[in-house]
Amino acid sequence: MAAADDIEAMARRARVPWLTLKRREAIEAWLFVSPTLIGFLIFFLGPLIAVVIYSMSEWNLLSGEQIFVGVANYRDALTENPDFWHVIRNSVIFAIGLVPMNMALALTLAISLSRPRRGVVFFRTVFFAPVVTSAVAWAIVWKFLLQGEGGTVNQLLALVGIDGPNWLREPDWAMAAVIVTRVIKMVGLNMILYIAALQAIPRDYEEAARLEGATGWQVFRMVTWPLLAPTTLIIMVITTIGSFKVFDHIYLMTGGGPENGTLVLAFYVYEQAFEFFNVGYASALAMIMFVIVLVLTIVQLLLRQKGAT
Amino acid sequence: MRNALTSLTVSALALSLAAGHAMAEDLRFTVWTGNEAHLNMLNGIADGFEAENPGTTVTFETIPAGDYVQKLTFQLAGGNPPDLGWMFEDSMPAFVAAGAVESLTDTLENAEGYDLADFSDPAMGLWREDGEIYGVPFSTSPFMIFYNKDMFDAAGLEDPLTLAEKGEWTLDKFREVVKALTKPEDRIWGFEFKDGQGYDTRIMHAVMPPIRAYGGDAWSNGECGFDDPEAVEAVRMLHEMVFEDKSIVPPGEQGDYFSGSSAMTINQISRASKMPEAGFEWGIAPLPTGPAGEAPVIGQAGLVVFAKSDNKELAKQFIAWMTNQENVEVMAQFFPPARVSVLESDTFTEANALIPPEQMKHVAAAIKEGEVLPSHERAPQILAAMKPRFDALWRADSDVEASLKAVCEAIRPQL
Repeated sequence: MAAADDIEAMARRARVPWLTLKRREAIEAWLFVSPTLIGFLIFFLGPLIAVVIYSMSEWNLLSGEQIFVGVANYRDALTENPDFWHVIRNSVIFAIGLVPMNMALALTLAISLSRPRRGVVFFRTVFFAPVVTSAVAWAIVWKFLLQGEGGTVNQLLALVGIDGPNWLREPDWAMAAVIVTRVIKMVGLNMILYIAALQAIPRDYEEAARLEGATGWQVFRMVTWPLLAPTTLIIMVITTIGSFKVFDHIYLMTGGGPENGTLVLAFYVYEQAFEFFNVGYASALAMIMFVIVLVLTIVQLLLRQKGAT
Repeated sequence: MRNALTSLTVSALALSLAAGHAMAEDLRFTVWTGNEAHLNMLNGIADGFEAENPGTTVTFETIPAGDYVQKLTFQLAGGNPPDLGWMFEDSMPAFVAAGAVESLTDTLENAEGYDLADFSDPAMGLWREDGEIYGVPFSTSPFMIFYNKDMFDAAGLEDPLTLAEKGEWTLDKFREVVKALTKPEDRIWGFEFKDGQGYDTRIMHAVMPPIRAYGGDAWSNGECGFDDPEAVEAVRMLHEMVFEDKSIVPPGEQGDYFSGSSAMTINQISRASKMPEAGFEWGIAPLPTGPAGEAPVIGQAGLVVFAKSDNKELAKQFIAWMTNQENVEVMAQFFPPARVSVLESDTFTEANALIPPEQMKHVAAAIKEGEVLPSHERAPQILAAMKPRFDALWRADSDVEASLKAVCEAIRPQL
């Protein structure tokens, strides 16, 4: 009986080709997405799962000893280690300093450079160039310019009678210097986003407002600014996320100093993992950073949905 | 027929691979020099070993010094361990404590004609633990004063070498000449810390020479020494030189000795390789003496075999080969030796093409008398804990003693 069933099943298989159109399409689809999928699994999902596991262990890289410690690393960071909150504070100060300055400057530049005028392309290029400049070269040159007495910045300030501080050696000034140099480097990107948004606003709106007797400021406040809101929101969130991930500037310009004044989260993770080889603790910190960025991203998505409706 | 042929081919291939594996032993050796002259010398030493051990090859792999410990650690942890390598003095205790390096005692004691006792005891101190030898120093290099002779001549001052020969090269004299050579209007300073890094990565190299000359130490036996009166006095002197005399390149400024912006600096003789292109007359002298007399400070680097190596025995034999009398003499042209017989021979004082013998004899003396920098199993954590407190110290208005007390407080848990 069973044999008869088998024969029948085999016959059925023989009649219907295995590679139906549906199957073929499915295979093709998988093949098309597989390069990205494989990359995603190997370089994103795999490490992410590994980091979660590492974050619950104490792992001495040199001896290879790995002990499961549960949530001890998280508890250590959040409740016991005063450095952690100092680092979070620095990251927040960095974001609060960087985001508004970056956005205000980007908007100002965009408004000045959105209309087709002579030389506008040249200036857009000038302000965008730092974005594509090597971050390493940028940081090293600024470190040189910001030297104490011999630095170009202080020599220029001396010309107008200002005795500039030793920028990168005093905690508060170092933070300010890192923020400002970062803004100058990255503002071009937000400027381009704002220019695109400004150019998408129909000219009729402005003309209508002007016919009603609105002044330039009123046109901006009542017409342009509200219409820029969705772009402003996106720029704000991506700039905030970017500011939490800042590493290269800190590493090259201050190394987290002086007096830990510029020790921000991404640099702290690096220091714990690659200088002290505290892989477990560093992984826990990386997870905390991941959650912070994830929350910001979700907020961005929710706000965008709200903006769309 | 075809199957038989295939299986024959496969077996032959497998056999040849297995045989090849059994015969050829490749030792992978990590170093932090990329200097061609250094690598040529190392390869020359390896050639001799390969000739004595047919089928063996030694490959030197350069990892830049700044990333060395980091990359090495990740190679060891990631299952791609080198067989042997160079090791920094300050990283050694952590590697020994973790069991990441092999004991070399048996191999060195039994190597033919090796004469282990020829290595000076103080030089071996750092590489020995509980009677076992875990590393052999290949470079035992004291910190020396490099001076710009042209600047001394122009100022009509006696240079440090002359002063040292007369026994007048003291810290007080040092402070006096450093101040005399400073020319703020030309942005020229009397002294620059090692590679201009004295406030950052080279804190220990900046403060340890005067602290030792005053009779203090950074720490010993788990006790912090930075806030002892001797250390406080020494650091106060440096602080006054930076902020009152304004004669040492201050934090946040660049005043490179090698390009003529500082009259003196402190460094090891390997840096002499930078001098021919400097364009001025120069010389080296011992460190100035202090209230505690002469206190030379030594930096060391050693050779180790990694516990995860697949060829431990062969790797150990290579270390014995590399540090035998003959090869230590060869290496002495770049790396000051820890073998007393080589140190005392003319070979060493005449080995350096850039530094004349009358200056090299001070190097040899410093190696014999000197003490290595303090080390610790948790050195990276200690340095990181120290750094912010030293940042606070290196400000014009800081209280030196309070700052050093803060340093001790910060590093005590790590000690």
